[in-house]
Amino acid sequence: MGTSDNSNNTGNEKHLLKDKEGNPISERPWIFRTYAGHTNVKASNELYRGNLAKGQTGLSIAFDLATQCGYSSDDTIAKPEIGKVGVPINTLDDFHILFDQMAIDEINTSMTINGTSMWLLSLYVALAEERGVALESLTGTTQNDLIKEFLARGTYVFPPDTSIKLIVDMYEFCLTRIPKWNPANVCSYHLQEAGATPVQELAYSLITAITVLDAIKERGCFSEDEFERCVGRVSFFVNAGMRFVEEMCKMRAFTQLWDEICQERYKVKNPKFRRFRYGVQVNSLGLTAEQPENNAWRILIETLGVTLSRDARCRALQLPAWNEALSLPRPWDQQWSLRLQQILAFETDLLEYPDLFEGSPVIESKVNELKEQAKAEIAKILESGGGIEAIKSGYMKSQLVLSQAERLTKINSGDQIVVGKNHWVEGVESPLVKDSDGGVFKVDPEAAKLTLDALAETKAKRNNVEVEKCLTQLSDDAKAGLNLMSASIACAKARVTTGEWSQTLRGIYGEYRPPTGVEGLTLDLENEKLDEVRQKIADFMKTYGHRPRIVVGKPGLDGHSNGAEMISVAARHAGFDVIYFGIRLSAVDIVQSAVEENVDIIGISLLSGSHNEIIDQLMNELDKQGAMEAIPVVLGGIIPESDRESLLSAGIQRIFTPKDYDLMAVMNQMMDVVIERKKSLGN
Amino acid sequence: MYLDEQQSLDKALEAQLVKAANYEKWPLGQLISVFENTQEKAQQHRHDIVSHLERNKSSFPKLATVCGFTGAPGAGKSTLLGELALTLLKQDKTLSIAILAVDPSSHISGGSFLGDRTRVSIPYGEKRLFFRSQASNLEFGGVSQNTYQVVRLLRHLFDFIFIETVGIGQSEIDIQQLSHHTCLVMQPLAGDQVQFMKAGIMEIPDTYIVNKCDENILAQRSLNLLKTSLRQAQIVEEGVAEKTPIFLTSAIKKIGLVELGIHLLAIAEKNKSSGGTDPSFEKSETFFFHRWVMLGFGQFGLEFLNQMTLQTPNVNPDLTVDIRAGASEDRVPMTTFEQRKRAFLDAISEHITKALGESHFFERL
Repeated sequence: MGTSDNSNNTGNEKHLLKDKEGNPISERPWIFRTYAGHTNVKASNELYRGNLAKGQTGLSIAFDLATQCGYSSDDTIAKPEIGKVGVPINTLDDFHILFDQMAIDEINTSMTINGTSMWLLSLYVALAEERGVALESLTGTTQNDLIKEFLARGTYVFPPDTSIKLIVDMYEFCLTRIPKWNPANVCSYHLQEAGATPVQELAYSLITAITVLDAIKERGCFSEDEFERCVGRVSFFVNAGMRFVEEMCKMRAFTQLWDEICQERYKVKNPKFRRFRYGVQVNSLGLTAEQPENNAWRILIETLGVTLSRDARCRALQLPAWNEALSLPRPWDQQWSLRLQQILAFETDLLEYPDLFEGSPVIESKVNELKEQAKAEIAKILESGGGIEAIKSGYMKSQLVLSQAERLTKINSGDQIVVGKNHWVEGVESPLVKDSDGGVFKVDPEAAKLTLDALAETKAKRNNVEVEKCLTQLSDDAKAGLNLMSASIACAKARVTTGEWSQTLRGIYGEYRPPTGVEGLTLDLENEKLDEVRQKIADFMKTYGHRPRIVVGKPGLDGHSNGAEMISVAARHAGFDVIYFGIRLSAVDIVQSAVEENVDIIGISLLSGSHNEIIDQLMNELDKQGAMEAIPVVLGGIIPESDRESLLSAGIQRIFTPKDYDLMAVMNQMMDVVIERKKSLGN
Repeated sequence: MYLDEQQSLDKALEAQLVKAANYEKWPLGQLISVFENTQEKAQQHRHDIVSHLERNKSSFPKLATVCGFTGAPGAGKSTLLGELALTLLKQDKTLSIAILAVDPSSHISGGSFLGDRTRVSIPYGEKRLFFRSQASNLEFGGVSQNTYQVVRLLRHLFDFIFIETVGIGQSEIDIQQLSHHTCLVMQPLAGDQVQFMKAGIMEIPDTYIVNKCDENILAQRSLNLLKTSLRQAQIVEEGVAEKTPIFLTSAIKKIGLVELGIHLLAIAEKNKSSGGTDPSFEKSETFFFHRWVMLGFGQFGLEFLNQMTLQTPNVNPDLTVDIRAGASEDRVPMTTFEQRKRAFLDAISEHITKALGESHFFERL
């Protein structure tokens, strides 16, 4: 049958999805992924092979924070983090074990890596070359979106301009050498986690893509045809929240806006290279620690937003686990989420239809509204100098912090209903958290030793003359402004470490601390708890002759600064003098700041699961400085119930978890701690 | 007795002071708080500490050079100060630096967000560098009373004090009253500071710094622009603008920091050679004393102060001698801010008490 014949029949067959020949078909499902990696390369390798056997079709590698921030495992700042939120990678030897018994020319590998993405790609290339695998056969993605790192995620290493330069280097290298690799993935995911509204998500991620493509164009390394293919390699990583109809519209708006940008700004002629290709991780931010079993439904609903509409369906999907607000998920928790994907794709009829929403006036109108607002925001940023400028000036960051504060205010006041959190909070306790392990996953603290031993062994065995030579070459190339891929691959093969590679480039490019976005932000929060804490502060000032001072910081390498920022804003709103120290600090840095500033309380935030080690370091240092008695410490973050006891006995005064979403209630408790301590010291 | 000059320093405070002079961070951190505290007890302690420091110059021989750094938000002052301090510590292995960073307080809650620390990295255990954040307490002028108070202490302990002002742009005058040397930090190609100066809001700084000159071309263009606008704005007489040093720096790429460091070291050296006294700081004391009078008693207070000095001609008008000491012509170097306050308060309350008995008191106000 020819196509014209089909069109005659479409009147009553519009619901059928057909192939080119006109036969009804069912579409291939998206790629099923699970964001995974922990402990060490051996354990992660077993986990990956297990997941693939369970029907997972792509790898999504989680690296530990030291690897992400460019430190080797034997660095002081790295030690508490080894294997906590992902797998630690120090040298090429680690990659050989991580991908052991896996055909890297067949699997699609997505690496959540940013500041050091060039290094990890170089390791992957070196692995392929040592195994004799053709580079053309490699498929996958390095996340490599530094703009969202500066805005939300915090694992940047180099300053903005340099970061973009490295991304362009990778595009230049990949287009000819690894044509099926996505050198960078534009992420709106983390923007939503940081508070972005759908419009901000659209605008800021498209600005990110424009910033990268403009930089590629500026380098002038591609012909027109090559540049078009290069645009075709830009992929996106998107978030999907609970407002799933709006989220679906957001995805349609993304698709249309990207097509327009590719045509208008970059003159891409081939529609294939204008396609909005995206993967999804659904929202973890909305998952609650209260009644955590409800999160299973939330994950399902969020999944619908990115799968229902065929025209805007994701290419790959990874789901969080129901208990992510409690701790890192266990293999069983991840399996439960994978099963959701399989049931949706294979038990339902979802994949048998063309787009379900085509022609709906409601959807069209909503999509248009999102598009118009996003376009206006994009134009505003471009007019004020573009993406890099908007990072340096702190504009985008401050907008996100503002949105986040508004969201929290609504949850606080109950205007935004969160079931089990601010409404219908009474209920029967969940049996799911009653397991012997407390329903949470813990990294074996002994396992870090294997990583450190392996690193020491590689260092002992390698040819140090060769290492020096390769690092010098890297340094020379960086100074000369050359593409750093080939020098990095040579470093990988010489068994240079993650820390050495990063440190060499830090020495040339410097490090960067982006604006916090918290300055100048006010909180719209008036309630009786606020009055109560302000009264406590007024009384305190009368008694002690100064405003209470708090230092807020994040020890360790975890860069999710939202919690610490919100606490800072709330504390200022309550009337504290807040010394905000930011992220990526060692425990001893925080103590040093606390004694220099002579604060009345230390507030620290930790999400990476390294709290036990870090609290140990912090308490020891406070003791060493002689300030243990005078300065109390409170802790906030994702802290498993089972660790609470030992942290309290280590001297932590209060532990706040995502359950403590009422900011002024937290402020009241902090003032209580301050006053209790003063009184106990006889002041 | 309160403010008794002869009283020796409380033993605990003295021990703390010795440790602080040895750059132990926790005792120093606590002592600074004494200079920021509003309690009566703290006032007495401040008086005792400053008197002790003045009397024991052989044990506390430092006399810091105070450098103010002002400029609009976004000019990168904190990052620059952090890098500059580290550069200076390398240039002079015995040098010690205290950084005092002032940020605005909230008009709504009175609380503040002091974020400068995020942009400064102090190596762990580096004793020669001390960083302290301070809230402006809603006072105008870019620095607060507390800034002055803390400088009273730190000047006896460090070689350099760097003060980073609020940087709101409008009212940064007072930093010049507190520093030996004021640097205006600007962004490349930013013309706004020149506008401020033209409007007479910002007096002429001692040094211009164009920061964030990450690229050479940008730096050169900025330099040319700045020179042109200084001439066009005619804020200085012909030839003067050329004499005010201009530095092009990049804190990230570490450009121009060594040169700026050498410049500041030379200023400190010149400062030192003027001997053990510091007339410039005495002026600061008077300025901040007047400001205290103004804040508490307004124009009436200032006029009263003026009359006091007229009625007792032997008393130095800038009040650097103890009013209660009467008609002595010798300057009493031990006179502290607290003693001046006490003398002023005694005099003004005596005056008011007396005046309240007279029917025309309120007409005079």
